[in-house]
Amino acid sequence: MAACGRLPLQRLLSAPSPRLISSRHVQVESASPATVYPPVLPSRTAKSKSAKQRVLLDFFEQLRGAEPREKIRELTRVQRMKYVVYPQTFALGADRWYQHFTKTAYLPGLPDTFSTTAEPDQHLKTAIDDSALSELRSLVCSALLQENWYMKKGRTFVHEKQKRSVTPFLTNIVSALVHSLARTNPVLRLSSLDFDPQVNFYWVNGERTIPRGHRRGRVEPKWFQIDDKPHSQIRIPHQLPEFVPLEAEISAEVPAVQLEPDRLPLFRRQYDNNICIGAKLEDPYSYGHTQFHIVPDKFHRDRLIKKSLSEHIEVFLRANAIASLYAWTGAQAMYQGFWSEQDVSRPFVSQAIITDGQYFSFFCYQLNTLALSSFATPDNHRKNLCWGTESLRLYETITDGDVVGWDDNVLRLLVQFLLNKPQN
Amino acid sequence: MATNCRTAVSPFAYSVPPTGLVLLTGTQTLCKMFKAAVNSSLCPVVKDLRVFAPRCLSLSAGLCARAPRPKPRDVPQIAGLERVSYAARMHYVPGLAKPELPPWERGWKDPRQYRSPKPEQMELYKEKPCYIYNQRTNPLEGVRQALWLTKAKLVEGLPAQILSLAEDPANQIEDQDVRVQNAIRHARFWDTTERRPSRERFCPSLLHNLLHLCGGLQATHPGLARRMLADKYSLAASWSRGEDLFQVRGQNGLLLNCMSPLPALAGQEEIQSTADHVLETFYPISPTIDLQCTHVYEQKNSIGFREDYPYPHAHTLYLMEAGNTPPLYPEQLRAKMIMFAFGNALARARVLYGNESKVLEKPIVVQSVATNGRLFQFVVFQLNTTELESDSGVKNLAWVDADQPLYDFAKIRPLIKKKVVRVPAGLSGYQPDTFKKFLALYLHGAA
Repeated sequence: MAACGRLPLQRLLSAPSPRLISSRHVQVESASPATVYPPVLPSRTAKSKSAKQRVLLDFFEQLRGAEPREKIRELTRVQRMKYVVYPQTFALGADRWYQHFTKTAYLPGLPDTFSTTAEPDQHLKTAIDDSALSELRSLVCSALLQENWYMKKGRTFVHEKQKRSVTPFLTNIVSALVHSLARTNPVLRLSSLDFDPQVNFYWVNGERTIPRGHRRGRVEPKWFQIDDKPHSQIRIPHQLPEFVPLEAEISAEVPAVQLEPDRLPLFRRQYDNNICIGAKLEDPYSYGHTQFHIVPDKFHRDRLIKKSLSEHIEVFLRANAIASLYAWTGAQAMYQGFWSEQDVSRPFVSQAIITDGQYFSFFCYQLNTLALSSFATPDNHRKNLCWGTESLRLYETITDGDVVGWDDNVLRLLVQFLLNKPQN
Repeated sequence: MATNCRTAVSPFAYSVPPTGLVLLTGTQTLCKMFKAAVNSSLCPVVKDLRVFAPRCLSLSAGLCARAPRPKPRDVPQIAGLERVSYAARMHYVPGLAKPELPPWERGWKDPRQYRSPKPEQMELYKEKPCYIYNQRTNPLEGVRQALWLTKAKLVEGLPAQILSLAEDPANQIEDQDVRVQNAIRHARFWDTTERRPSRERFCPSLLHNLLHLCGGLQATHPGLARRMLADKYSLAASWSRGEDLFQVRGQNGLLLNCMSPLPALAGQEEIQSTADHVLETFYPISPTIDLQCTHVYEQKNSIGFREDYPYPHAHTLYLMEAGNTPPLYPEQLRAKMIMFAFGNALARARVLYGNESKVLEKPIVVQSVATNGRLFQFVVFQLNTTELESDSGVKNLAWVDADQPLYDFAKIRPLIKKKVVRVPAGLSGYQPDTFKKFLALYLHGAA
C-alpha cells in the first residue's frame, strides 16, 4: 500500500541531518516584526454594528491626545435625551439608585482621619486649642442668634423659612470659620469661596435597548446629567489627600439595581450638556475642598415626619451627598484631562456638609474611577467611595437669646473638615 | 395728579371739557388726548367706552376730540317723595328706580379680597406729612440733596487716616494684585457655564470675592474676628429739619457690624470749624423732592437688631447696583450711600443718647462702599450732632471718593475697530489703588 511505503515526515524533519537543517529553519524565522499585510478592520461607513463601533473607537483615539478643554467640548457637544439626576429628590430609596448610577459604595461613618468620638482628637488638639474652639463656638452661636433672635425680621411664607434664616446663617458661619481657620490651615487663605455656584456633570453608565419607535431594538448608552447648585463651596489650587489608596480592597458593595432608571422615577430631557466645577477651566482653583448644602423647606424633617416618611430624611441626605460629590469630583477629574476611556490615575477627594440649620450631616467622597461604561477598561474593579454620618444635632432650641442644648462634637467635626489640607 | 388712575375715562362724563383737551394742537392723535384726559385730575370711573364713543367722521385731525359726555342731572332728594324702587321686588323692573343698597359684607376675612381703608381712617394717620427715604428713592439733586437733609459738609477724597492705612505695606495681602485680578476674572468670566455672567450675578460675586480676600487677613489682624455680616436688615431713623419730618427706612444692603465703634476721624477743631459752613440749597427745588411723602407713618428709630446684639456698631454698608433694583446714576447712588450711612449713625445715636438733640462728644462714624461691578464709590460719614432742626451750628461730615474704577475693561471678545484691536479680550486696565482703598476701609478700626 502507498501509506506503508512513505516515510514518516515528522521523523525526517526532526532528525538533525545537515541536509535538512537550512530548509527546516526557513519557516521558523519568517515571523519578523514588520507585518506584511495591514490589520483587518471593520468598515467605517457600512451599516453594521462593527462599523459603528469602529467610528466610536476612532473618535475616542482622537480624543486621547487632546487638551482637557477639547475633550470636554467633544464629549458634551451633541445634545441627546438624557436622564436628569436631581441631587435633592423626593424619590424613596434614591440613595441606592444613585449609588448604582455612579458606582459608589457607601460606608457609614467617616474615614479614620476624622474622629467622631466625644474625646477630642489628638490631632485636632494640636491644631487648635480649647480657647480657639470656644471662640469659634461663640462665633457660630452669634451667627445663629443673629438670624433667629437679634435681627428684627418680618413674616415670610411657609416655604421660605430656610431661605430667610438658614441661608444667611450658613453664609455667615462659612465665611467666618474659613477666615478664622486660615491661620491654622494656610490653604484656606489661598482658597476661593463661591456662593451659589453651578456644578454640572454629564456621564454614561450602562446601556439600554430602545423599547419603541423607529429605532426600536437598537442598543444605546444611558446618559446622565446632574445640575447642582450648592449653597457655597470652597475650591483650592491643590488636591486633598486620598483617604484610602486607589486600588485598595473595600468590602462594601455597589448595589446593583436591575430596573431601568425610569422606575425611580427619573425623567429624560434634552438640553445642553455641561461639565463644570463651579468655575470655568481657566480658574487656577481647580480642585474641590468642601461643599455646603441646605435642606430646602420641601424636604425639612418635620414635613417628612408629618407625611410619615421619616426614613426618607437620611436617604435624602445620602442621595444628595452622593450625587453632588460625584458630580463635583467627576468634573474636577475631567478638568484635569481624565475621562471614561482615560481613567483617573490618582483619586479625587472632596467633602460635603448638608444642613437644615439645626441638623448637620458630614460626607466625604473619593472618586477612584470615571470608567463606568468604558471600552478601554471593560472589567473595571475600582469603585467610588462615599463615607457619611447620620444627621447630628447642633443645638436643641433657641429661647430668649440663648442657644439650648449645644453639642460641641458637631462643631469639632466641622472644624476638622475645614482643617483638611493638601499634603505639601 | 391722580395716582394709579388705571380706569378709562369717558369724555362725556364732564359738563365742561377738561383744560388738557382744549390746549392740545391739531397734530396730537386721539390716543394722546385720551391719555391726557385719563391723567388729568378730574377722572371719573366709567365702565365701557365703546358704547358712548361718538363717531368722528371728519377728515382733519383737529376735529378728533371727543365731545364730553353730559353729566346726568342731580336728582333732588325730597323726604317723603322718594321714587319707588325695585328693592322690594328683588329684581329689575322697568320703570322703577334703582335702589340704593347697603354695601355687601363678606362676613369673613378673605386674604385675597382685602380693600385697605382710606389713609384718614388708618390708626397711624397724622396731619403732618413725613418724607421717607427708602431704597427705591432716586433723588433729583443727588449728593447736594443728601447733604442738606443730613446737615453735612462734603469733603472730597477719603480722610488721611484711611489713606495711610491703604498705603501701609503691612496691611497688604500677599500677591495682592494677582489675587485681586483672579477674583475679578472669576466674577466677570468664570462664574457660569454660559459665555458671560449677568450683572446680577457678577456684581455680588465680585463683592463677596473681595470680602473673602480681605477676610483672609484675620490671621495677621485678630481684631477682624470681632465682626459679623448681616444681610437684609431693616433700618429706621427719623429726624426733623426745619418744619418737616424725615425718615430713613427699609432694607438697604449688606451691613458689616462690629463689637467696638469706629474712632472719630475729624478732630474737635475741624468739627467746630464746620459751624461756619453754609449748607448748599437748590432753590426753587425743594429738598423734599422725590422722597416718599406719607401721612401714615410711625416715628421709629431702630438699628434693625435687638438691644443686646453683640455687634451693635455699624461698620460698613455695602450697596450693590446689580441691575435688579431700579437703576441709579452714580450721583444718586452716592446720595443713597450718604443717607443710609447717616441713618445707621443716627439710629445708633438715638440708642445711646435718646431722642434729645445735641452735639455728640463722641462722634459716630459709619462707612459705605457701593459698586456696580466695576466702579466703586466710597463714603465715610461722621455724625457730629443730632441738632438737625436748624441749618446753623456744627455740621456732620461726609468724605466722598467718587467713581473709582477697579479695572477699565473686562471683555469676552476684543473690541476691534478698523481692523485694529482697541481693547483686548480679558481683563485690562486694572487699578490697584481702588482695592487698596477698599481694604483700608475694611481694616479701619481693626488695624
